[in-house]
Amino acid sequence: MTELAQNLIDALALGSLYALIALGVTVVYTVMGMMNFAHGEFIMLAAYALYVLAGLPFAAALGGALATGVLIAIAAERVAFRPVRNADLSAQLVTSLAVATILQNVVTGAVNARPQSVATPAVLGESTELGAVSVPNLEFVTLGLTAVVLAGLGWLLYRTRAGLAMRAAAENFEMARLLGVRADRVVALSFAISGALAAAVGVLLVMQTGQVSPTMGLTPVLIGFVAVVIGGFGRMVGAVLGGLLLGIVSSLLGAYLPADLVPFRDAIVFSLPVAILIFRPRGLLGAATGEARV
Amino acid sequence: MSGVRFRSRSSLAVSLLVPLALVALTVAIGANGTPSLQGTVTTILCNLIIVLGLQVFIGNSGVYSFGQLGFASAGAYVAAVLTLPAALTALQTPGLPDPIATAQLGPLLSTLIAAAACGLLAAAVGLPLMRTSTLAIPISTFAFLVVVYNVLANWDAVTGGSSALVSIPRTTSVESAGLWAAAAVAVALAFKWSARGYRLQATREDEVAARSLGIGVMKERLVAFSLSGVLCGIGGALAVHQSGVLSPTTFYFAATVTTVTMLVLGGARSVFGAVLGTIAVASVNEVLRGIEGGAEILGLVAIGDTPGLAAIGVGLILLATMIAMPNGLTGGREAGELAWLGRLLGRRRPRDRAAKSPWPDVPNAAEMVKAERARDGSLRAEGISVAFGGLQVLRGVDLELPRGEALGLIGPNGAGKTTLVNVLSGFLAPAAGMVRLDGTDVSGRSPNRLARTGLGRTFQAALPFPHLNGLESVAVGAMGVGVGRRDAVAVAADVLARLGMREKAVLPAGSLPPASQRLLGVARALATGPRYLLLDEPAAGLSEAEAEELVAILRGVLEDFGCGILLIEHEMSVVMSLCPRVQVIDDGITLRVGSPAEVQADPAVIEAYLGSSYLEVASA
Repeated sequence: MTELAQNLIDALALGSLYALIALGVTVVYTVMGMMNFAHGEFIMLAAYALYVLAGLPFAAALGGALATGVLIAIAAERVAFRPVRNADLSAQLVTSLAVATILQNVVTGAVNARPQSVATPAVLGESTELGAVSVPNLEFVTLGLTAVVLAGLGWLLYRTRAGLAMRAAAENFEMARLLGVRADRVVALSFAISGALAAAVGVLLVMQTGQVSPTMGLTPVLIGFVAVVIGGFGRMVGAVLGGLLLGIVSSLLGAYLPADLVPFRDAIVFSLPVAILIFRPRGLLGAATGEARV
Repeated sequence: MSGVRFRSRSSLAVSLLVPLALVALTVAIGANGTPSLQGTVTTILCNLIIVLGLQVFIGNSGVYSFGQLGFASAGAYVAAVLTLPAALTALQTPGLPDPIATAQLGPLLSTLIAAAACGLLAAAVGLPLMRTSTLAIPISTFAFLVVVYNVLANWDAVTGGSSALVSIPRTTSVESAGLWAAAAVAVALAFKWSARGYRLQATREDEVAARSLGIGVMKERLVAFSLSGVLCGIGGALAVHQSGVLSPTTFYFAATVTTVTMLVLGGARSVFGAVLGTIAVASVNEVLRGIEGGAEILGLVAIGDTPGLAAIGVGLILLATMIAMPNGLTGGREAGELAWLGRLLGRRRPRDRAAKSPWPDVPNAAEMVKAERARDGSLRAEGISVAFGGLQVLRGVDLELPRGEALGLIGPNGAGKTTLVNVLSGFLAPAAGMVRLDGTDVSGRSPNRLARTGLGRTFQAALPFPHLNGLESVAVGAMGVGVGRRDAVAVAADVLARLGMREKAVLPAGSLPPASQRLLGVARALATGPRYLLLDEPAAGLSEAEAEELVAILRGVLEDFGCGILLIEHEMSVVMSLCPRVQVIDDGITLRVGSPAEVQADPAVIEAYLGSSYLEVASA
């Protein structure tokens, strides 16, 4: 019983982390229709900001990571993604692959290809006892942060003018534009939000592993993609659900798989979406849209 | 057979020989170089085979797969364990079962086995993956790449785990890699120009239109995905026998980015582009690596961590290509289709010649496609109802279209005409009702299957195949229902001649004016040899004279093909002069079926079109 509760809390924490990643990918996808490979590098760069700013007070380093995520995302949009905004999905995907490669290797060249360790506040490494269950403090932070982010995003999207513009653009970009929504601003805003989400994930990952490396964004971005596909393209709620599901399944597999199969957990987790897509080609919450009208 | 061809012999020769000459030149440079240069050139040639593998799938389907390097990886591992001496196998991969562990095959046999294994793997993996949507394939294939990596890196007993396999026999020479690469060029071109290749390209150009021509999108993608797996497996097997070492990261993320860049830079739709892009990116990469400083030049599929300069270069090339010239260096054209290359080789422009020369006699398409065609039979819809959410679009509509007759389907905007055509052609499942084709219940059949049963259609939007020319676009129609390539060309030539579109045959469909594109859509549907042809506003955008011409053409079609034509049209003169019977629907129900005169006199019809007040005024 205790073990189950323990595993469930771990699973929920991992699911929350994955949901944050998936949200970051979806925010851009809904507005611009682009799956952004470079989202993983936004995460990685925010994490490197913690590494570079290690000497500063922790709060300042956090601010630096947030600023890095947001600024990189906005810069990437301006330089690389705006010119291909009207290209097809494949072209945009390949463009983002290029951006990802460049960012990853700039860091490799500037710092090092090898992982670097980052000191984290000791309190995050400790656990809190809740009855018989021992919950790592970091999991509280993850769960809390996810809740705050979801609430904040909900407020932004449904209670502000900018959010209304974003939702309009997500429904029909061209029409929103004709009605006076400033396309460049909306896209830039969605990238800024995406960058902020990436920064949150980057910070959490550093807290979890205590290190940074140039390729640390690869697995998260793939998780984000897969979660978005599972949840149904372009649905924020779907992305959150997809991320939660993926994290929970992954975590429980880690806890309950036979020991000699545990190394293959990723293989199993990444095979799951294919199984789901066969039965629901548009994902769990996918709308019946996307099929071309004839 | 007919003398009409997709491309002239000289254009075909140039398209084949120019890339082959580039490969030969690369081999010549490598074979006469230092051992280190030989290694580099061999690696480039191996990469070329992989890039050609990418071209077969990505170029023809237009769908990006990021998983193909997984097949290169699999091929490399298969070839490696098959060629490692038993003693070394026991050390590095002790878990291998006996016949494989002790096998020590030659380079040719091991490569062939790797190719076959990868083809099977690709078919097995592709079966579920190709079922996912066009949006999801890039991601699900990427997930596959990670799965392959994860398995290779952790299945220590069989793959040696994350540490590299070493002492693999280095048997691939510049010459052998060159021969394989040349063969891969020929295979990629042969596939692209086969009926299968054209069907797949049609799905790239417009998925919906392709399905209406009988093309099964999933199946065509799966075939190309498997062939691509074979080529990637060969590339991987040859590469590992060049370098002698192999680890799970050899063909992983970095190699995926590099090979995709090679394909995109050259122009993904073109085999020549794959060759050009591979050589260009590889050259830049080598130079950058030289600058990077002192590192041993191993070619592109490098092992170990080389700090980023070369990779940044690749990324920048990719980024610049996507922004500045998304169609790549070749613009997606083959060597024989490039005007500048033609001038360079001193050829006259083939386009002009083809347009001017009279077409030789072509066999009668109507004869060729109406193998069995009983004159009687009909397309019937019974009680069709469709609702979009709460909006009831069709409420129990019946329709009967006999063979050899034209039925006009008219009604105000929003009456449900196109929805009815979508139901008849299988694009939309009705909430209630049944469709019978010559007596057989065909409700619920997919559009592509219906097209092969003899149901052709056009669309309100022309849905052209922009990068195929007129002749190819129409021939795809015949290929879609299973006609072979040669016969399909003959059918297309005849259909185009009938529709007075000969001069459009050599022009890219995307460059034609909208009215011509719509007519090309009619030609495309006719080439499937339909028993019933559903035309959704074919005369839209035509001048009066052109509309009259269209009526004459459709009369000829009725006569020669003996098919039934359902004509949705707002241009009343066209409907009235072609159709002895007209069905009027409004708000999802049939108002009237009758002769044009009867329909025009019906008060209910007049009210639906012009409103009741008009009726009052008219009767007053």
